[in-house]
Amino acid sequence: MPLSNAKVADGTSAHPLQEGQTMVDSLTKVVACYRHLASCIGSSTDSASLRQELRQTRERAQKLALSCRNHLTARLRDKALSEEDRKETELQWVAFSSCLELFHADMCKVYHIGNCFSVAKNSAMVQTGMQGGATEVAARALSMPDLQEHSDVQTASMEGLDQSQLEQEIAQVDCTLEDMEMKVNVLRWTVEARGPQYADPVSADSASLALLSVDEDVSGSFCDRSQMFVVLLLCGVAVVAVVLSVCVVFLA
Amino acid sequence: MTIRNVRDHGQRYRPRMSCLKKMEAVVLEMQDPKTGVKSQTQRLVITTIPHAITGEDIVEWIANRFKIDAAEARAMGTMMVAFGYIYPLQDHKRLILKPDTSLYRFQTPYFWPAQQWPVEDTDYAIYLAKRNIRKKGLLELHEQEQYNNLHKWMNHKWDFIVMQAKEQYRAGKERKKPDRVVFDCQERAYWVVHRPPPGTISGMDCGLERMVDPNQEEKKTSEYFRRIIIFTQQCIMRPRVKSSVSIGALVKYTTTYKQHDPFLYPCLPSNPWLTDDVTYWHLNMPNVENPTKMRVERWTFSFGELLSDPRGRADFRLFLKKEFSGENLAFWEACEDLKWGAAATMQEKAQQIYKTFLARGAPRWINIDGKTMEITVKGLSHPHRYVLDAAQTHIYMLMKKDSYGRYLKSPVFKETQKKAVAPEAHKFSEAQLEQNAKKRRPSLSPIILRQQEEEQKAKLAASGPVDITQLCRYTAPVPHLAVYTGICENQTTASPGLMTLPNSAACPSPISVAIDSTPASERRFDSGPTSSHFPSIAESTEASVSEESQPPAAKSRVALSLSRLLRRGCNAPSVFASLSPKCAVTAGGGKVQPLGEPLAQPQPKRIANFFQIKVDIPPECRIYPIDSEDEEEESPGAARGGVKEIICPWETVTKHDGAG
Repeated sequence: MPLSNAKVADGTSAHPLQEGQTMVDSLTKVVACYRHLASCIGSSTDSASLRQELRQTRERAQKLALSCRNHLTARLRDKALSEEDRKETELQWVAFSSCLELFHADMCKVYHIGNCFSVAKNSAMVQTGMQGGATEVAARALSMPDLQEHSDVQTASMEGLDQSQLEQEIAQVDCTLEDMEMKVNVLRWTVEARGPQYADPVSADSASLALLSVDEDVSGSFCDRSQMFVVLLLCGVAVVAVVLSVCVVFLA
Repeated sequence: MTIRNVRDHGQRYRPRMSCLKKMEAVVLEMQDPKTGVKSQTQRLVITTIPHAITGEDIVEWIANRFKIDAAEARAMGTMMVAFGYIYPLQDHKRLILKPDTSLYRFQTPYFWPAQQWPVEDTDYAIYLAKRNIRKKGLLELHEQEQYNNLHKWMNHKWDFIVMQAKEQYRAGKERKKPDRVVFDCQERAYWVVHRPPPGTISGMDCGLERMVDPNQEEKKTSEYFRRIIIFTQQCIMRPRVKSSVSIGALVKYTTTYKQHDPFLYPCLPSNPWLTDDVTYWHLNMPNVENPTKMRVERWTFSFGELLSDPRGRADFRLFLKKEFSGENLAFWEACEDLKWGAAATMQEKAQQIYKTFLARGAPRWINIDGKTMEITVKGLSHPHRYVLDAAQTHIYMLMKKDSYGRYLKSPVFKETQKKAVAPEAHKFSEAQLEQNAKKRRPSLSPIILRQQEEEQKAKLAASGPVDITQLCRYTAPVPHLAVYTGICENQTTASPGLMTLPNSAACPSPISVAIDSTPASERRFDSGPTSSHFPSIAESTEASVSEESQPPAAKSRVALSLSRLLRRGCNAPSVFASLSPKCAVTAGGGKVQPLGEPLAQPQPKRIANFFQIKVDIPPECRIYPIDSEDEEEESPGAARGGVKEIICPWETVTKHDGAG
């Protein structure tokens, strides 16, 4: 299943299958970003801007979900769909509904935590060690290269409004999920995954990660490596210094 | 697309998690910059991360806050770590609070354990996939196993999981490096709490899920008060016993049984669990020839003990056989079999039991009072497992009050007592104990044991039941006497397994106990044939057992049977002819089938016919006047043994009453 580009703008490919896939992929991306944002709520990086970003991401996800749902429902109810296409669409359907479930769970959590930790009322946030915001993540979600800074002020009323809106949206997603179950009958046991069992290890910057993951048992070796490097460097410097001093002594 | 189990009846609340809310409050208090826990910075190789706290600070803070001592504060801190509110930065797998300079950090509220949201497997799968990406396929063993399991279980969404994992990984990369580290630590800590590695104790163990959220205050609606009222009413109605009485019972029990309790007194010869020597078990096998003295002593404690021990039951059976009242025990066992047996054969069994024990003129008729009989017979029209409960209890009490006492004074019991084994205690040395341990072997497989049991049952059944109708042909014992005289040779042991073999001699041919002939003759003597002979049966069952009305009919039957006998020359051993009014003449049917031979007749057919409602005497009905019986008996379909069938009277009752 080729992972298409993040931008949804070019989802105008003629092939509806491709279109559906693109939509599902972007929804997955947005949901993943939402999860990252949600993990910051109530923590030391919680702020008005975070809430703002959450809201924006949420709205985006809702829009995507709606279009995706319409598209997929229309496809699956179309009796004249070929077997192969149907299988593909069912896979997309499964992915879509799972996405929606994750999204629903995250929204519930955000709502709940948002009630306990209010930014406007300056309630004590948990000191989790997070420092930077998750602005970049939100930017990724919204597919915008740059996110303009929002005012840091969020009044209680705004927050209340936000919360109630969130509540509504949760209910909405709930309905959507139920509707989906009713309208389209996709048998879970007939859907087979096509991708690999193991995600391809992304050849990411392992070195930098290694330096940071000091706490892990495996990272012990990485730690040593960097330490050894430093030690060697020092030794080299020391040796050079000794040689120089010997030279000086001899020459002097 | 999660498979939702909607039949969980709303049981989603985990009961022991009501402490979570309280813990959250404490954690929030700890955050206070002024009065909270001192926070430090954690230094990593290239960066520093704030908000680290040391174990000793935590303990100190808790001790101060709650005014408790250090040990208790440490325990409380460990609980917080175990629940996942605080996670250790070093040694992340051990969720304990070390009261030294080891560092901890607070968990973000998103990853706090929550009452209302159970931890999803989908999330775990995504986490493992992410970890797999990051560590390039290097998951720990248990994680690997779980990953494979989840792959099998959630195969349909696997593509989604992999995709989501990649997306989350990429989104995570957008963040600043220290934050990434922190997030990874948080997530890892979360999963250590909720999917603990094998061998670690999980703090999230909470038992079955409940329907009601324990954290929520219950609203005092009328429904609530109604429940409280019912509850208190039931409390009041509960039967009470004076504590002196109940304690007295406990004391009595302990004094009686204390020497038999392996925890309090040493087993003789030795406790197999301690010394690995299985002599004790061999000596106490269910069918051992000579039981141990302790075992025999237990039989004297109560009747229940005697019955529940198979060897004791066998002894009791022997005694009853000598007293010719084995049918009580046989009936009791048959009822037990019905209660605990398979549902498929229940109906058949009930019928068999009725035919053998309860019907008038049944071969092993038991003596229960009229009322119980009435209830039982009524119940048997719609048999279920416990239909014979009343009768069984009656018989049980009868045996307990009557036979049990006599058994304990009987020569059978005294003989058993004399022959009982009193093993010496083993005195193993250390070396011997070790050797015993090495020689440990598994015991017989339960399958084999069960087969042996079945074989034994079959043997017992095959040796035939005691049939009271097979007694002296010329005596006319009153049917309701429990004791008969003159048992034939064949009938040796009563067969407890009787009921399990419906085709066995349970209904010995002589069953021609023709209740049919009874009514038949009655019919002849009564005014004309009533539309069915059943009323007579019905009446008889309703009436008390002793039938005064029968004698006149009996005489004629005696005469008839005699004539029949002379005519047919039945085999001696198999003649029953208890010309009791109950037992009719041997099925005039030619050769009487000797007991012990399984009925080779179309039994199923019988059973199928068993509950047929017979209106007028249809031609194939076996209830004919005795004379014509013989001829009819020869007709095909009738038994080779010419067995008359006992028609269950509840048909009548049904018909008679017009109701079911």
